[in-house]
Amino acid sequence: MSEASGVATSAAQRTESDRLVKHGRIRALLHRPEIGAFAGMAFILIFLAIVAGNVVYNPLGIKNNHGIISQLGIISIGACLLMIAGEFDLSIGSMIGFSGMCMALMLKWGLPFGLGEATPMAAFFITLALTLTIGWLIGTIVVRSGLSSFIVTLGFLFVLRGSTEVGFRTFNQGSTQISGLPDFKQTDWFAYLFGGDAFKWVFDLLFSFGWNVNRSGDQWVPGLDAKVGWWIIIALAAYFVLSRTKLGNWIYATGDNKEAARANGVPVNQVKIGLFMFTAFCATIFAASQVFDTNTADAAKGNLKELEAIAAAVVGGAILTGGFGTVVGVIFGAVIFGLVQNSVFYISWIDGSYYRVFLGSVLLVAAFTNENIRKRITGGI
Amino acid sequence: MTDKEPVIRVENLCKKFGPFTALNGVNLAIQAGEVHALLGDNGAGKSTLIKILSGVLQPTDGTIFVDGVPTNFRSPRDASAAGIGTVYQDLALSQLSSVTRNFFLGREITIGSGPFGVMKIKEMDRITHDEMQKIGIDISDPTQSVGTMSGGQRQTLAIARAIYFGARVLILDEPTSALGQKQQMEVLKTIRRVRGLGNIAIILITHNEIHSQLVADRYTFLSLGEVIGTGAKDELESRDIRRLMAGGADIADLAEELAKV
Repeated sequence: MSEASGVATSAAQRTESDRLVKHGRIRALLHRPEIGAFAGMAFILIFLAIVAGNVVYNPLGIKNNHGIISQLGIISIGACLLMIAGEFDLSIGSMIGFSGMCMALMLKWGLPFGLGEATPMAAFFITLALTLTIGWLIGTIVVRSGLSSFIVTLGFLFVLRGSTEVGFRTFNQGSTQISGLPDFKQTDWFAYLFGGDAFKWVFDLLFSFGWNVNRSGDQWVPGLDAKVGWWIIIALAAYFVLSRTKLGNWIYATGDNKEAARANGVPVNQVKIGLFMFTAFCATIFAASQVFDTNTADAAKGNLKELEAIAAAVVGGAILTGGFGTVVGVIFGAVIFGLVQNSVFYISWIDGSYYRVFLGSVLLVAAFTNENIRKRITGGI
Repeated sequence: MTDKEPVIRVENLCKKFGPFTALNGVNLAIQAGEVHALLGDNGAGKSTLIKILSGVLQPTDGTIFVDGVPTNFRSPRDASAAGIGTVYQDLALSQLSSVTRNFFLGREITIGSGPFGVMKIKEMDRITHDEMQKIGIDISDPTQSVGTMSGGQRQTLAIARAIYFGARVLILDEPTSALGQKQQMEVLKTIRRVRGLGNIAIILITHNEIHSQLVADRYTFLSLGEVIGTGAKDELESRDIRRLMAGGADIADLAEELAKV
């Protein structure tokens, strides 16, 4: 026990770890990677309230907004998890068209090989088995060949879109769309899970307070689309897996430093293949909620959706080289893009095509911000 | 030589790559609680030797004894199961992930098994903090990302991780080479503390004669695939060390050679 003078000890006892300043809670919150996306979302929400609050935030507006947001939200969570693991999937949009075709063809013309009528449940699960297999195939090609997933999934973007058109023409009497399917959601509980309403009780409650009322005095909007429920379920599951489970740790490590992860016994290839299957799963949920909601399908469904999903993931803080990103961020990203995409149609003095201008600009700003965050973390000392 | 059975002993180890002889009959004994410096010029066979010890390469001839038992390492997994932990220069760390997540990567403590097992994050944070403190670094926040740590701290993290997961022999591959002066000292201190634990043997590969003199108990010099000298610290003069490191050439010879240029 030496009794050195105060000045000398304070200098001598300074250690490397003291150089990382600890901040309070608010400061920590401001340093979270999602803060930019959150600020963007708050800005959009307030802006819309000012310029078009009466149409964007009335019951019908809320229902429509949530429909668009949740659709984008579902696939962007898949894209985000895959991006954290260091890979891309450009085939999401084509996968939506492809799985929509499979379900609608079965619902209209019956099961393959003349196995009789298709129930919504059978159509969904047969399609899901098919899309998961394709997801597995994409992942396996990527990890086995060592080719960039950008190229492999670009290939599948074309292959799947082409197959969708060919499939329609072959099995649907030459037409690339199906409309006027029976309204399964009225008669079948399984179809209702995808095409029905969610959060009806909230809208019932609003009606009883005298807000959700149409011109003839009845309840106006019955509830949100069922896909909002799916979005919430998938988001919660993804959040839990990523932040709490062993698999979450593996996903981050796989994207950050693949060789290090492998050296520590992480099954890097299986993680990646599993995530390619997960994006295929998300695309199938997207397609099912579309088919059972509108009772239609066509070969162009899901076009360019893969790029919107990736954009939402980037805005939410995911970086293209992997290892970084959060589910909370990608939720904000989906809200920003979904809200703007839907709202430009309400505001007559804004040309709807500004949506794409907005999307591109926000994407660039987000990418710059993310790069700075990454440098701040890795540049370190 | 002491009469204690060495943790690792290699006898007459040979490794040939086609016509090229990388190692030609190397003998080596590593004792627990000792720092054994492995010195030699580039191309002397140091990396081949440690790759054989860590199971990456298989020897052409010769035997490795672990606790006196002849053992074959067919893969790195075999070597780590036998308690040999290798800390490579790139350290196998994920920069963007937290210290704890790195510490337990691939060996997470979970409730429930399988990939969906839920991590016991609090317990993992505590163990990470305690294990790193044991060998001298008090990280105040195990949730900080590895990218914010200094090079010396990262070395300590990789070493602490290897020890916690059962390494009895630590192979450190040029741990000070890419670091600044102060951080080199941090790493040397860490090596000292690990030695102080008493039950762990350290093989230190280095080019730096001063560093080896500061921490090593015993030296082995390699040149052109053969051992050209070995001995305990007190048996060797620093002049010998310098001469042997250069593959037998005296520093005076080198000065003479330089003068001719």
